[in-house]
This record gives sequence, structure tokens and C-alpha cells, in this order.
Amino acid sequence: MGDIFSNLGLGFGVVFNLVQWTPAFLGGASIPIPVNILLCLIGALVGTLVGVLPGIGTIATVAMLLPITFGLPPVGALIMLAGIYYGAQYGGSTTSILVNIPGEAGSVVTALDGFQMAKQGRAGPALAIAAIGSFFAGCVATVLIAVLGAPLTKLALAFGPAEYFSLMVLGLIFAVVLAKGSVLKAIAMIVLGLLLSMVGSDIETGASRMAFNIPELADGLGFATVAMGLFGFAEIIRNLDTGGESDRELVQQKVSGLMPTAKDLKDSTPAILRGTVLGSILGILPGGGAVIASFAAYTLEKKVSKTPQKFGRGAIQGVAAPESANNAAAQTSFIPLLTLGIPPNAVMALMVGAMTIHGIVPGPQVMQKQPELVWGMIASMWVGNLMLLIINLPLVGIWVRLLRVPYRLMFPSIVIFCSIGIYSVNNAPVDVILAGAFGLVGYWLIKHDFEPAPLLLGMVLGPLMEENLRRALLISRGDWSVFLTRPLSAVLMAIAAALLVLAVLPTLRKKRDEVFVESEN
Amino acid sequence: MNDMPSHAPVESIMPKWVRGPQDFIGGLALMGIALFALWASSDLQGMRGFSFGAGTAPRMFGFLLLGLGAAVTLVGILTEGAHLARYHWRGPLFVSLAILSFALTIRPMGMIFAAMTSFLISACGTAETRWIETLIVGACLTAFCALLFPYALGLPLQLLPTFMIR
Amino acid sequence: MNWYGRPLASGWLAALAGLALLSAQAQAQTYPTRNITMIVPFAAGGPTDVIARIVTGHMAQTLGQTIIIENVVGAGGTTATTRAARAANDGYTLITGHMGTHAASVPLYPKLAYHPEKDFEPVGLLAGTPILILARKDFAPKDLKEFIAYVKANESKVNAAHAGVGSVSNVSCELLNSVLGVKPIGVPFNGTGPAMNALVAGQVDYMCDQIVNAVPQINGGTIKAYAVATPERNPSLPNVPTTTEAGLPAFQAQAWNAIFAPKGTPADVVAKLNAAVVKALDDEGVRKRLLDLGSVIPAAADRTPAALGTLVKNEIAKWTPVLKPVN
Repeated sequence: MGDIFSNLGLGFGVVFNLVQWTPAFLGGASIPIPVNILLCLIGALVGTLVGVLPGIGTIATVAMLLPITFGLPPVGALIMLAGIYYGAQYGGSTTSILVNIPGEAGSVVTALDGFQMAKQGRAGPALAIAAIGSFFAGCVATVLIAVLGAPLTKLALAFGPAEYFSLMVLGLIFAVVLAKGSVLKAIAMIVLGLLLSMVGSDIETGASRMAFNIPELADGLGFATVAMGLFGFAEIIRNLDTGGESDRELVQQKVSGLMPTAKDLKDSTPAILRGTVLGSILGILPGGGAVIASFAAYTLEKKVSKTPQKFGRGAIQGVAAPESANNAAAQTSFIPLLTLGIPPNAVMALMVGAMTIHGIVPGPQVMQKQPELVWGMIASMWVGNLMLLIINLPLVGIWVRLLRVPYRLMFPSIVIFCSIGIYSVNNAPVDVILAGAFGLVGYWLIKHDFEPAPLLLGMVLGPLMEENLRRALLISRGDWSVFLTRPLSAVLMAIAAALLVLAVLPTLRKKRDEVFVESEN
Repeated sequence: MNDMPSHAPVESIMPKWVRGPQDFIGGLALMGIALFALWASSDLQGMRGFSFGAGTAPRMFGFLLLGLGAAVTLVGILTEGAHLARYHWRGPLFVSLAILSFALTIRPMGMIFAAMTSFLISACGTAETRWIETLIVGACLTAFCALLFPYALGLPLQLLPTFMIR
Repeated sequence: MNWYGRPLASGWLAALAGLALLSAQAQAQTYPTRNITMIVPFAAGGPTDVIARIVTGHMAQTLGQTIIIENVVGAGGTTATTRAARAANDGYTLITGHMGTHAASVPLYPKLAYHPEKDFEPVGLLAGTPILILARKDFAPKDLKEFIAYVKANESKVNAAHAGVGSVSNVSCELLNSVLGVKPIGVPFNGTGPAMNALVAGQVDYMCDQIVNAVPQINGGTIKAYAVATPERNPSLPNVPTTTEAGLPAFQAQAWNAIFAPKGTPADVVAKLNAAVVKALDDEGVRKRLLDLGSVIPAAADRTPAALGTLVKNEIAKWTPVLKPVN
């Protein structure tokens, strides 16, 4: 324990490092400036402001802002980058809640209930609870990293291809559960998502699959492209239908309080706690654990809730749990990076890039060789989360006021931001056209009462599932029993099977009840 | 965004035995997509011994979707369900045109032209647009984007048309 | 979807460096009179991107113009390279290509929309990153000789990881396998990070990879290195023998990175760019940062455009027979 305190002390020492600034106009007097805290604050602020632009997701924001940090000293640069990352994530949640445009896979779930809350004039409480939940999750995860970082690494290494495949199967079941309508249609949407995710190069042979010789499809459909289309553009088109306008006017008139009520807080507390635990565990797994953190948390809440029918229609737990899980996972996903030197996801890969440019090559020894860097970063996580709370609670009012912009002006602006955002991801005009096409697809899906969220999750999980299945079978030389003989994998499979039964049972029971009702008549 | 589509009695072109036209058509479309995917992946290699080929997974999901589409269609025949929702042409048309115009003009004409044109085209998507207001907001937004993306964020976006730079 | 994919970045570093020396612009001749775009066909932060940023940062000072880095990711870098091949040949669009985009792509992608020799003017070689033969830490063979014997004897049992079809680790491992005359099971991963993770966790047996990613893991004792596939030992891993020393001289591989311009770029422009590259490679700061990465800086004779042209020709000849049977 003593070690941890001295280590955290070192970390906070780095973060609170004061630099004496002696400007000429003060005539020799010097002002102490907490440079690293300022960098963290600026990072979180800029990250939020860019991340909040519809169409620009977390990865895009971090990549865009990465070069700003090149001119700084290494520790300061990484602290600022961490700030940018949290800010970008929170900014992305803000867009999910306000305009139903998720910037990354994790916010798809936030959009489900967050946007419904916004429609009911409760955008303020939704944004605030997201900030509060994230802050709490961030605090817990920071302590967890400091105390258990090294032992938890073993969990990351215990997950091989077989375990990841089972985890992804479990993820798909979550996607079924979070649907609010017909289970059959939700499963159909997941499979459609899986099918869409097959577009692109085959991982093992490199063969081009369903790409029709379009070079931009060679690496598959981007998440941003499909998400902006199915959520962003489709939502706009739907709103332009007559009737949508008056719907909008109503939203603007009934904006109630900005902050959550006591009841909101009471309702969300257990959700935040459960979300934090789930997110912290899943975030450690480098092969896509963080991706399913938010909807695992959502599914759990929906299952334990006494009023599951409220989910998808503006339940505050449906915002609190995934946001906490997402933020906890974002924090603990630093563990493999800090203890193994291996980036677990795209954002962490950018972090490694930033470290390399600063001449730090992260590896298993980075904790011993550069303790001030590692512990400084861990301390900055907590500070970054605090900054987010400080920045975002006051901003809630401004964001909510944005909803009062007349829709006739808002929607063309969203179209422009989304177009620029999608284009800038890869400087490819074809991506913008694809997003437009998915907008029309999304409009059609809405008209036929198909939910886009399971589709998107299927698309995210599809490649992870297929690749890990194939890897596992290659390593086991075609022996399918590995998924059940490896203990971790078997446990995950058992949970998946149990959840599936739980998800399907109510539907069957309802059918039976209906039959009874009819026969009684 | 998953509001129940309106139950307005659309003049039904469906035969009487289709009790849920919404699901019926939806399921048929899914089956269409599945068949298309099966055709598009038909040239890919199948299983090679114990290891998957490039085409194994796409075909697996294709057949699965075909089955699920058939099930959704069946539900549409057997159970009473929603009617087809009413489609509108104005919003989808102009928003799509705006996106298309942005994609086609961003490289040759630069961002200022692409953003402004696209803003104005998408504004045609609703009858509520007041043009003077839209022009002013569009110009301000374009100026904001022109400052934000290339300068503040340093993105490699070209502002002016190519012929003006050369 | 590729989770390591599709980021973007911009030229702030280059921009700052370029602005600092705007005064030098006064004495510049006609070229360059505006910003230069450098296409990097890989994600920001990857080995090629880092090398390109270090060198172009210095080149911008020499040329007196900002060099904007445009990361275009996709299809093993061939999407970006196709775009560069079709760009205007006025010296304002350049590309930092590497072993994959400008040599191995020829046999790997039968429908390649460009040819490295016919569609590009070589400008100058930047730096190479040596390839290592790596294995999980508890893999039985102790040195390269034992490794060769083991892999030959257990061909059907060993697993070789790689970072995806067409990646440097995939291509160089194919070369190693063809030198050894074996065809082990190749387990594909989505990028170097996940592949390294699997090697550290002991889920796969061996892989070939660039030195940049591997040095900290080797020093940390989480994986082991049998040999480095260059003629000389690398200063960052002085204890790792070369393949020649360890008894496999036929395996020589280096992931080289170089700047190319579209075909038909005027000779004086190419000469000016090459001079800027050479000047950057002589700069102490640039050299130190490249060497810290484990890179090999080319000797003076190898830095000319003609030498790069020859290198491309030789590399295509080298990779074609190795990679043809794969597809």
C-alpha cells in the first residue's frame, strides 16, 4: 500500500508541477503556473469542443488534435492528449444526446435513451448525469489502475482468440437485449450488420469481399460513415417529413430543469456503480472489450430494472450506466498500454504514436524506466475527469440552448458538419456519398420499424468475431471444442446462452399469454 | 428515432392475405439484400480444410439473413401489423443532393464552395426555409468552418477551387 | 472494421518548423512557392509516419515552405499510392512510400492501379528499419540454428503471427519461410499491436517484425529475438546477432522508407527535393531521433534518386518470386 501512495504522490507531484513564470513586465516577480494542469484543462476543453461537432468522433478528434501536442515536452504532451481523449469522448456523448449522432461505438447506446430524454425536454439532466457518472467512473478506474494495474495485466494476457470470440458472441446477445421492439427484427438487424461488416479485405487471404473494385471499400465500411448515415442523416430526413417539424417545436418549448432532480440521482446511483464495475473489467481486455462495455452495462440495467419497458424511451439509467461504463473502460484501457506497452485500441495506438514522436517507445519497462511519466498520466486521468466535470456542468446550459436553434437552420448545419467530418477521416469523397446512401437506408429502416442500433453493433462486432473465430480455429487446427474446453471461454459462452434464454423467454411467454387470452374469449 | 410509423390508412396495394404489410415488405427486402450478398460473395473461396475461406463467413451470414428475412415476412403474413408508412420525397431528395454535391465538389472546388452550396441545397429540403436568414447563417457557418478546420485544427482541406490556386 | 485504421493528422509540426524559416523564402527560386502536400499511406504514429514527420520537418526549413502531411490509410497503403501516382507532377504532391507500397505490392496486388517504377520519380531514401526474427519467451529453440531445425521439424505444429496480409511483418515472414523452405500456419492479426500482444501472451510461436515495435519488449524480457536481418548489428540491440552471424545469410530484410514524386516531375524539382532530404539526413538532431528508433540511415551513395530507382527495381525482383505463390 505504501508503494501506491508514494507512486500516486509522484504522479500528483508531476501533475501539480509548478513552473515559475517571470514575465518582463512584472519586473522580476515570478508567478507559479501549474503547467500540466493547464495543459490538461486546455486538452479537455478543446477535446470537448471538437468532439461535440456532429460527425467528428473520438478517434477523429484525437487524431486531429494530436499534432498540437508535438511541440510540448513529453509528459505535458501526453497529459494534454489524455485530456483531449476524455474531452472528445464526453463531447461525443453530448452529440449523441442532443442530436442522436454517436461518434463512436460506445455512444450508440447513450443515444438510445439520451436522445429520447432530450426529446422530452430533459437534455439537461441527461448531459449532467453523463458528466457525473463519467466522473465517478473515472475516479474509481484511476484508483483501480494505481492499485491493481500490474496484476490486471494478466487478465489481458489470458484472453486469447477463443476467449475473444466467446466475448463477442456475448456482445451480440447484449445487442439483442437492448432492442426495444421485436426480438426477431433485432436479430435480423444484427445479422445485417454482420453481413455489412464482411465488406472489405479478408484478414487471412487478403481477398477482396463484396467491395466491387471500389478502392475506398477495400478496407471495409468505416464506423463513422455508417453511423453518421444511419443515425445522423436518417434522423434529419425523418424530421423533415411533415409532422417532424411540429414535433421539434414541442421539444423546444418544454425544456425543463437543467440539472437532475433528487429522484434522478437516486435512480442513477446503482446504475452508475454497476456500469463502473463492468466497464472497468471490460476495458482491460485489449481485443475489443471496451467496445462492448457500454452496451453490456445497458443490458444489465435493462435486465435488473423493474421497469424495463422504460428503456429506449428516456430512462435516465439508460444514460448513466453506459456513460459510466464507457468512461471506466476508457481509463482501464490504459492498463495494457502502461504495463505491456501494447496499444489496445485505435486511440491508444495514436497515444503510442505520440510517445514515439517524443522519443518514448512504450514497453513493459516503461513503468520502471519512466515512473514520472506513467504515474503522471495516471494522476492526470483523475485531474482530467475533474476538469470534465468543471467544464461540462456549466456548458450543459449552453448545449441545451443550442436545441432552440430553429430546425430549418440546424439541419443544414448538421449536414455540413457531418460531411466535413466524414470526409476528413480519410480525405475520401466516396465516404461522404456512402454515408448519404446509409442515410436513405436508415430512413427506410425507420419506416419499417427496424432499429439501427443493433445493426451498428453487429457491424462493430462482426470483424472481431470472425477474426477471432478464425484465429482460434487456426491455432487449434480446426478443433471447435476450444470454445468450451478453455475455462474463461466456457464461462462466457454459458453467460451468453443464459442471457439469450432470458431475452427470448418473455416473447414466448407473451405469445402463450395471447393464446390463452384468445382461447378464453 | 424509432417512433411507430403513422398508421394513416395508406391506400393499400397489398393483397388481403398480407396482414402486416410493413413487416411483409421489410422481410422481403432483407431477403433481397441477403440474396445480393450471396451473389456478391459467390466468387469467394469456401472452407479450406479446417480453416475458413474468405467466403465462409459472408455466406454464413447471408443464409442466416435470408432465413430471418423469411421469418419477418412470415410474421407479416400471419399477424396483424402496421401498414406501410408514408414516404416523403422532398427531405430525402434535397438532403441526398446536398451530400452528393459536397462529395463531388470538395476536391475540385475547395471547402468554401462545397460547404456553402451544400448548405443551400439542403435548406431546400423544407418549405419552412426563409432564404435571407438561410443565406446569412450559411455564410457564417462556411466562414466558421473555413477558419476552424484548416487553420485551428490544421486539417489538409483545400479552401479555394483548384483552378484559383494554380 | 479496422480499429487501428482511418485516423488522420495534419502538418502542425511541419507548419511550425516551416513558419520559423519563412525568411528563407526570399532567396528561394521558383520552386517551391506554396505548401507541399506529403501523402503518408499509413496511420499517424506508425513507423513510416514517424520517419516521414521527422525528415519532412527538417526539409520544410530547407525548402522554406510548409509541408502538410496527409495520412491516407487503406489497402496496405496502395489506395494512397494510387492517389499520389495520379496527382499533378509539379512537385507539390509527394508520397513517402515504403517496401510494401513500392515493391511488395507488385506481386501482392495483381490489379494494382500503379507501377512503382513507371508511375513515380524516385526522390530519395529516408531510413530503413531492420527486421527481427522474434519468438515467444518460452519457445523451445535457444538460438537461430535451433530455431531453423525446430521449425523444419515441426512445420505442421508451429504458428507464425503476422500483422495482416501485405504488412511488413507478413511479407518479411513469407521471405523467411521461403528461405527455410517451410509453410507453417500463419495467424493473421489486425495490426502490429495485437500480433505483438499474442506473442507476449504466448498464444503464437514466432513472428518477424520491425525493430521499432520490438526493442522495448525484448529488453523487458517478454519476448526473445533470434537475429536481425541486416548486414550489421543494430546499436539499440547490441546482443542480437545478425542473420549472417547466426547462420542464415540468405534472410536479409529491411523495411525501407523513401520519398517519391509523380512521374514527370521536373528534374530540377526532384534535385532540389533530394538535396533537402540529404541535408535533413546530415542534421544531428534528425539523425539522433532516427537512430533512437532503431532505424538505419542510408550512406551518402545510397541517397541519390538514381540509387533509390535501383533499389526499387531490385526489391521488386526480390519480392516477386517470394510473394507470387501466396495469392
